[in-house]
Amino acid sequence: MKEYLTRERDKDWLEDMAGREFKTGLGGKWDRWVKGFLGHWEIFRKNKLGLFGLALFIVFAAMALLSYIPPLIDPMYEPMTGVDPDILWTQGPTKAHWLGTDFIGRDILSQLLVGARIAFLVGITAAFMAVAIGTSMGLISGYLGKRVDMILMRVADIIMVMPGLLVILILSAVIGKLSVWNLVIIIGLLRWASVARVIRSQTLSLRERPYVQAAIISGASKGRIIFRHIGPNVLPLSFLYMTFGVTTAILVEAALAFLGFGDPGTVSWGMMLQWVWKTGNMFRAPYWLLPPGICISLITLSFYLIGRALDEVVNPRLRQR
Amino acid sequence: MHLGKFVLVRATQIIITFFIILSLLFILFRVAPGDPASLVIDPQMTPEDVEETRAIFGLDKPLYQQYLIYVKNFIQGEFGSSFYYGKPVLEVIAEKLPNTILLFTTSIILSAFAGISWGKVIAWRRGSLLDSSVTVVGLVSHTLFLPWIALLLVWIFAYWVNWFPLTGMITPELWVDPDTGTVRKVLDVLHHMVLPLSVLFTIHFGGFMLIMRSSMLETLKEDYIVTARAKGLTERQIRERHAAKNAALPVVTSVGLSLAFSINGGAITETIFSWPGIGRELVFSVSNSDYPLAQIAFLLIAALVLVANLVVDVLYAYLDPRIKY
Repeated sequence: MKEYLTRERDKDWLEDMAGREFKTGLGGKWDRWVKGFLGHWEIFRKNKLGLFGLALFIVFAAMALLSYIPPLIDPMYEPMTGVDPDILWTQGPTKAHWLGTDFIGRDILSQLLVGARIAFLVGITAAFMAVAIGTSMGLISGYLGKRVDMILMRVADIIMVMPGLLVILILSAVIGKLSVWNLVIIIGLLRWASVARVIRSQTLSLRERPYVQAAIISGASKGRIIFRHIGPNVLPLSFLYMTFGVTTAILVEAALAFLGFGDPGTVSWGMMLQWVWKTGNMFRAPYWLLPPGICISLITLSFYLIGRALDEVVNPRLRQR
Repeated sequence: MHLGKFVLVRATQIIITFFIILSLLFILFRVAPGDPASLVIDPQMTPEDVEETRAIFGLDKPLYQQYLIYVKNFIQGEFGSSFYYGKPVLEVIAEKLPNTILLFTTSIILSAFAGISWGKVIAWRRGSLLDSSVTVVGLVSHTLFLPWIALLLVWIFAYWVNWFPLTGMITPELWVDPDTGTVRKVLDVLHHMVLPLSVLFTIHFGGFMLIMRSSMLETLKEDYIVTARAKGLTERQIRERHAAKNAALPVVTSVGLSLAFSINGGAITETIFSWPGIGRELVFSVSNSDYPLAQIAFLLIAALVLVANLVVDVLYAYLDPRIKY
């Protein structure tokens, strides 16, 4: 009975939405966009875990923004170079340092805030790159088929069996320590394969649709069909994979920094853990060991939960009936 | 017979893939800034000496010849000497391989088994308190940061309550003592293995469980489940025999797909717990710029992942009679 009622309510709501007019004052295209967005938000909103993920996301975004403040208050809060002159060794929370200081007297809280910035930077740009490459490759491979498809998918197969983190380790052995941007590019190049596979199978089904046939008959070029006609229809799926991609990118960066191969010019959460581990303070300084790990785990959880909720928006099959 | 052919085809593909990885590695080490010989060449050496050194390493030959020599050496099992240990890399790495396989396979099998068992139970009781709480546990497990949970477990169980050793795989004093029996030795290794194994289990369990849960939910919608109900089978019979067996197949696939990811975690775990495996050796050799060792460690890990993939594929083909080889 309860289930029936929710379904009825959904139906009413959908009818309500269909009947309602949205006026943004920016023209019909925007109205449709806003309407679509509100409809999706309504589905997203029902997923409590997804909302929790979104809340976490907002907290971390706030942390990233707040990270600009401490160095303005006092240069000793500079996360990488600022050292409290009165403190020579790691110390627990005090009034001046809310989360304590690390082994040379740098403020842990300001390091933690900057870590959020790095995590977003690496996570989002790397995932965006992976998804951009993966979507194009998947579209091309799926639409053109034949030899192009075979070659691209073989390459994807090889990339997929390679342990990404260890590949990056080998690369940093050869090239030297990788800067954050190099790392982003490498993660992008290593992570596109799984996205390409999904987009390819979606393209295979989309290219048989009547509207694609119509486009072919009207003489549209291959490039136009792939990117104008099929492309926009796989974008929701790409966006979904981007949220999952952010999770992996953040974890890879953190793991690399933890093993001591991070960009020496930046402070990331993985690097903070590396410092607490390598300086042998992990048994002595819980105020230093706990925060970075909690942050990494929660930020990845946040993107993962958002991804799962978006999955329900994109794939109606997954919704709980 | 069919299965035999399938294995043959997959094995050939894997060998080709391996050779591509081998070649990529060659290219990588050649395009890298700095000559491979630059590590040995002293700035004070005369140009003639430099040439001679380069000739010893075969660097004066054209690139394709260098490549052929590289492949030939690989096939003959000559991988050069480790800079750090000063002995052939194969000697260094050979004894480490079983340790990695032991830790890795045990953790995968245990977590896949636990994931399947829990996933089927909570899918069966969808919407219950058990379902939502175990799902949350699974989600957290899936996104935890491995090094951190490892450090945390070390802190609690090795330092605080002191139940398990901090690092290593064996207690050296025990193994040196000639009176120690085999059982005692096995127990010693198991005792050391508990913590690294728990870390890998914690990380892998969630993913497998979530896949099993959603796969089981799909399976429960199938017609044959309705048929089984109509036949009057008990709930337990339907769940175990009709639903769970079919639902477990995607988990097997995901084990295959996540192997590469798992070996990353394996390497980190080995490093933190000083578990003498190839993953830790790779991390060390990279820190020490010990290129020959890094190269062989990476190749062995790649081979390990490829072979494990083959095993998973064969297992899948064996489990699912519908599959066409």
